[in-house]
Amino acid sequence: MMSQLSIRQLKKRYEGKQVLHGVDIEIEHGQFVVIVGPSGCGKSTLLRIIAGLEDVTEGEISIDGERVDDLDPADRGCAMVFQNYALYPHMTVRENMAYPLKIARMAKAEREKRVGEAADMLDLTAYLDRRPAQLSGGQRQRVAMGRALVREPRVFLFDEPLSNLDAKLRVTMRIEIKRLHRRLKATSIFVTHDQIEAMTLADRLIVMNAGLIEQIGSPVDIYRQPASTFVAGFMGAPAMNLMPARLAGTRATLERVSDYAVETGSFGPGRDAITLGIRPEDIVVSRDARVGLLARIDLIEELGGSRIAYCSVGEQEIAVVLPKAVSFREGDRLSLDFPAPALHAFDRETGLRLTAMNAARQEVANPLVTA
Amino acid sequence: MVVLSVFCLFPVYWMVVTSFRPANAIFETSLWPTAASLDNYVYALNAIPIGRMLVNTLLVSAMVTVAQLLTGLLAAYAFARWRFPFDKIVYTLIALTWLVPFQVVMIPNYLLVANLGLLDSLAALILPHFAGALAVLLLAQAMRSFPTEVIEAARMDGARSWRILWEVLTPNLRGTIASLAILIFISTWNEYFWPLLLSRTPENSVIQIGIQMFMTSEGTAWGPLMAAATLASLPILAIYVLLQQQVIQSFTKSGIR
Ligand SMILES: Nc1ncnc2c1ncn2[C@@H]1O[C@H](COP(=O)(O)OP(=O)(O)OP(=O)(O)O)[C@@H](O)[C@H]1O
Ligand SMILES: [Mg+2]
Repeated sequence: MMSQLSIRQLKKRYEGKQVLHGVDIEIEHGQFVVIVGPSGCGKSTLLRIIAGLEDVTEGEISIDGERVDDLDPADRGCAMVFQNYALYPHMTVRENMAYPLKIARMAKAEREKRVGEAADMLDLTAYLDRRPAQLSGGQRQRVAMGRALVREPRVFLFDEPLSNLDAKLRVTMRIEIKRLHRRLKATSIFVTHDQIEAMTLADRLIVMNAGLIEQIGSPVDIYRQPASTFVAGFMGAPAMNLMPARLAGTRATLERVSDYAVETGSFGPGRDAITLGIRPEDIVVSRDARVGLLARIDLIEELGGSRIAYCSVGEQEIAVVLPKAVSFREGDRLSLDFPAPALHAFDRETGLRLTAMNAARQEVANPLVTA
Repeated sequence: MVVLSVFCLFPVYWMVVTSFRPANAIFETSLWPTAASLDNYVYALNAIPIGRMLVNTLLVSAMVTVAQLLTGLLAAYAFARWRFPFDKIVYTLIALTWLVPFQVVMIPNYLLVANLGLLDSLAALILPHFAGALAVLLLAQAMRSFPTEVIEAARMDGARSWRILWEVLTPNLRGTIASLAILIFISTWNEYFWPLLLSRTPENSVIQIGIQMFMTSEGTAWGPLMAAATLASLPILAIYVLLQQQVIQSFTKSGIR
């Protein structure tokens, strides 16, 4: 199928300051795409350009094959849900939701019908005659979503819509958004810097950094095969351990640990300075000093469901998820083993993933993905 | 607070009391009129067309208020929402006109109005006050502090500038608009020099001119003067009471004084 939203070589400059450096995205019909990245990387800017609230400096945007970069926001068929709800303070919930339809000169009966349906879907029927000030944050955000829904837009845009809600409500709303998307199958672009939101909501995940796309893929792919050290360090909590290493043949020596080599596999010639990565939950922990790397626990973080130990070996800090079976305490010694299939290797200079070892890794990973 | 209010209210009280004193007791200093009478009112009403003058003043004040709010809203929207060549300079110039006393531009204004053949007409009283710097500045400030996201939401919903101004911004600036309305209304109501310069006949005059008519070279008729002044201040009081709630709200909210 033809992609619905297509962005080509999009660049944005503000008074000489370049914010987007050439972004390419293709989004299919009905997909839920999440854009994630650190603060200031240009996520909002990208979304606002798609919405038409900001001009394009260079590049093109098409929706359903039609160039939209010069169209007014209202003519692009996009609806947006803002971080601060952005409801009209002087209108009731009903009037807020009906406003875009009123501007579109829709007949009153049809208007009422659509608002009624949306209110029903979002559990807002009881609040239709209230004003935004008389609603809780969660209710306000639902009204904002209702106002987007009634227009039946081609693309939904969300700019961190949940970040003003408390932790519990955020989870509820996240699930509600997911459910709504299952039901309506509306193409959506959702911006967040919360990686749990990103992982759970996305059909396709876009990781951005400093005005560029680092990686596009399914959440699982991005988690399992991060394309760069940036993605590896950004996605996942606790973050992946990234250790400078020297590659010689099929073995890598950790630079900050004297005399410890890890079996990795080969990456071809000319790549000796690498960054070796392993997720804290992939490290095999034991008390057996004969296998693996001997380390000392500096600090333990208790998360209820799991425990994370921050260990040091020589100059190297390593985070591991502790197995439930063995009880470790701060100050304890333990040995860490890095199974080869769980290792990630990145070119130290470019930060890009080295692919040769993926073969080994995918053999392990694939059954899990499909399971 | 209490002392201060007594201090402020006393002249008003004195005006009302004096207006009820009979002519022979006009300079009495008792706090309460010993013998109240309506003579002053009767006299005042007969001496000048007070009713007509009040209606004139009301008309002029209301028109000026509405006109200044309208032009103010339009200009403020342009300054708050659009970038255009020399926008900052124009804005500063408008702010500067606020500092120029009306007396300075009175003569050029007079010549202009005279050339238009509008001397001794109410239109001439309104014309120079069709737009005011204070309205533009206050409204532009209020619009700038209105959340941009809401305006952007309106743009996404399909609203263009005209709708955004009238359907989104204006309804949310009610406090500022109400306090501005009072300020403009009262200052127009109390205006004296400009009408003095223009008005030729009592029928085309405003109430402030009427009040001054009791101050003649032969002496001042204090009783009728106070009666006319009391009548003149009643509408203002009414307007204030009417809009008071909104004004107090907007003052406490915006911190503008
Ligand atoms: N109107 C503007 N003028 C100049 N610079 C801007 C403007 N808007 C954004 N920027 C800059 O563009 C960069 C990207 O901003 P953007 O708001 O897109 O970041 P973001 O990824 O959404 O961050 P956050 O997660 O904090 O919302 C920032 O460095 C910001 O300072
Ligand atoms: Mg943002």
